[in-house]
Amino acid sequence: MASQNIPKIMKHGNLTPWLYLLPALIVMSFFIVYPMINTVALSFSNKDGAASAATTCKAGESCWGVFENYHYVLTSEFDFSSPGAFWDTFWKSSFGNNIKWIFLMTAGTVSIGLAFAVLADRVKYEALAKAIIFMPMAVSFVGAGIVWKFVYDYGTQQVQIGLLNSIITAFGGKPVAWLSTPGINTLMLIVVGIWIWTGFCMTILSAALKSVPDEILEAARVDGASEWTAFWRIMVPIIMPTILVVITTMVINVLKLFDIVYVMTGGNFGTNVIANRMYTEMYKNFNVGRGTAVAVILVLAVTPFVYYNIKRFLAQEAIR
Amino acid sequence: MKKFYSVLAAMLLASMILTACGSPATPAATEAPVVTAAPVTQAPSTVAPTTAPASSINCMGAKQGDAISLLYQWSGAEETSLNKVLQPLVDNCGIVLKPESTRDQALLDTRVKAGTPPDVAFWNVAQLIQYKDQLKTMDELGAQRDSYADFFVNPGTIDGKWLGLPVKADVKTIIWYSPANFKALGYNVPTTWDELNTLVDKMSADGHIPWSMGLESGDATGWTGSDFIQDILLVQQGPAYVMGIINGSIPYNDPGVKKAYETYGKWAMNPKYAVGGAQGTLSTAFLAAIYKPFADPPEAMMVKQSGFAGGEISKQFPTLKQGTDYDFFIVPGAQGLQGGADWMMAFSDKPAVKALVAYLSSPEGGANWAKATFGLSPNKGAAGNYTDPALQKLGQALSTTKGFTPDIGDTIPGGFGSAEWKAIVDYLNGGNLDKALSDAAAVQAAALKK
Repeated sequence: MASQNIPKIMKHGNLTPWLYLLPALIVMSFFIVYPMINTVALSFSNKDGAASAATTCKAGESCWGVFENYHYVLTSEFDFSSPGAFWDTFWKSSFGNNIKWIFLMTAGTVSIGLAFAVLADRVKYEALAKAIIFMPMAVSFVGAGIVWKFVYDYGTQQVQIGLLNSIITAFGGKPVAWLSTPGINTLMLIVVGIWIWTGFCMTILSAALKSVPDEILEAARVDGASEWTAFWRIMVPIIMPTILVVITTMVINVLKLFDIVYVMTGGNFGTNVIANRMYTEMYKNFNVGRGTAVAVILVLAVTPFVYYNIKRFLAQEAIR
Repeated sequence: MKKFYSVLAAMLLASMILTACGSPATPAATEAPVVTAAPVTQAPSTVAPTTAPASSINCMGAKQGDAISLLYQWSGAEETSLNKVLQPLVDNCGIVLKPESTRDQALLDTRVKAGTPPDVAFWNVAQLIQYKDQLKTMDELGAQRDSYADFFVNPGTIDGKWLGLPVKADVKTIIWYSPANFKALGYNVPTTWDELNTLVDKMSADGHIPWSMGLESGDATGWTGSDFIQDILLVQQGPAYVMGIINGSIPYNDPGVKKAYETYGKWAMNPKYAVGGAQGTLSTAFLAAIYKPFADPPEAMMVKQSGFAGGEISKQFPTLKQGTDYDFFIVPGAQGLQGGADWMMAFSDKPAVKALVAYLSSPEGGANWAKATFGLSPNKGAAGNYTDPALQKLGQALSTTKGFTPDIGDTIPGGFGSAEWKAIVDYLNGGNLDKALSDAAAVQAAALKK
């Protein structure tokens, strides 16, 4: 009988699965669960984690008690004196900038990635073309930030060493301070993000496109569908689940984005993002309470997207 | 294939030998190995004692082979200079120094919080406040108080306890210029603030841009502006006022501060006064700004920057000579000096640490510091021992000044430094000055709240 060869431990009781899970559980609780609980606890404390956040309230000003750090993090960047002032400060705040990042960078990476995936499919040197697009992924974010800082360099001399400004001046234009002019600087940083991440989106979307059955496309073409119709009516609907996963993955990436902003502007000139604020509060201002409060807000913002990704993943597993 | 394996074996063997040699198991080496810039994680290099000559250095009971761990931000040539300063102590007492060099303050913070701080750290004045409960006092370590002027002991005295020994000072209240250009254009070095004002207007009227300004410095963008504004405060208000801002008795949105910002902004935001106007000031890197007055043709006439600028100019323009091609003058009319100091702080009171404190605070320690040409030493023993002409000039200014104020932003803890930079950046970027200053004042009040 084969079953006699099975070790005894595998045959018995409800305890057995837990025994298998135990090493993973220990590691997870030590490195993930405990730090998370500690982070949440610290976010209700003052700057050195020694007393409640309520002690940092200022007399005569509105106070959220133990949630004072959240009060600070959520409101300190805004000017509530008038709706116009609020609008202005909102779009220069880390929250406003993160919203810009989410929409523009996700849209940029996914649409350009998809376009390259479709187009590369039709050229002779597909592997080479895709390798070039993917290459920025291999550059570290800090390295990419420094490279692009040179591209955007604003010189006060006649000779512009920044690529972009030297092109502009060559055509007789006036150089622009790309990174210190509020309004355009965040857009310039988003371009860097798109440059880095497009290859990632392209690779995944390209793999999904390969799985679109040729028969369906052939049939559509025989029926007289143009390439444009075939793309929108056949390819996109079939790879939609993949597109959604790529979108949510990008949103998670963008919410956590730190390197590009830290390296290129340090969060100055109205380019701050949530993750950079977390770093600033934690390691420049040494305010543990506020730093962890930003971290908790960031986790809460990321959670729905992670949840969606996992649900999607489980659904796909179920189909298989 | 066979060849491949033999190469592989040779490489393995070589790496084994290298790692064996790299271990720090030889504290009693007969000759002192040169200390290299240690990596952040582990410092295998040590300064080992040579044979001990007789000297007046007090070893405070430290025994041959006693080791102390050091953490500091210096590397390269600076580290070599530091070793030159410390070599007599190492030779005399047989102390083994285990240095680590990093610019990452988070590393120090993590170690202190984890309960494994270095024996000795050389860091900024803000860390004295931050770690005041963990630090040993300089009195119990046997430091010589009378080697220092009061204004060098006071910033290191927290809640009545003397916690930090100032070891290396940098005077920031100076302006760099090109004597050659000044001579060619007929300009004289100003001796009062009014003369400077007139000179700036005259340069501008002549079609020369007086100031090269550059605030850009990554996530520390703005610090050159805060240095400039503090110097203006020293001219317009004096050192007592600056100390008032530091201790919180004067709020950062005081009219005196606003006046200094406006004085600065008048120059920094006008392309006739500063290269590129506001956007030029904001986006020029602080290093690039140092070079501009010395380029050919010069882009500006003057740059306000600390003593380290001299080294940067000589690196960028190796043919230029200090004194004729580039030189500096003390900000005219300043009623005191602004400067930074690197502070030695001790987390341990073992004899070897005491020996280090006693040595650095002794007249001999000050003299050796000056001779090593490693910046200025706040130690009175340094006077007259400088060999470098620039240091002699600064040392002279330092020994006659009426007040020495630390950097406001570095001294107030709790993120005031970055709030101050943000105020400057926002103001130059067209923001409302009153709002910028009251935001910074709120951070100042919160940081100094007991």
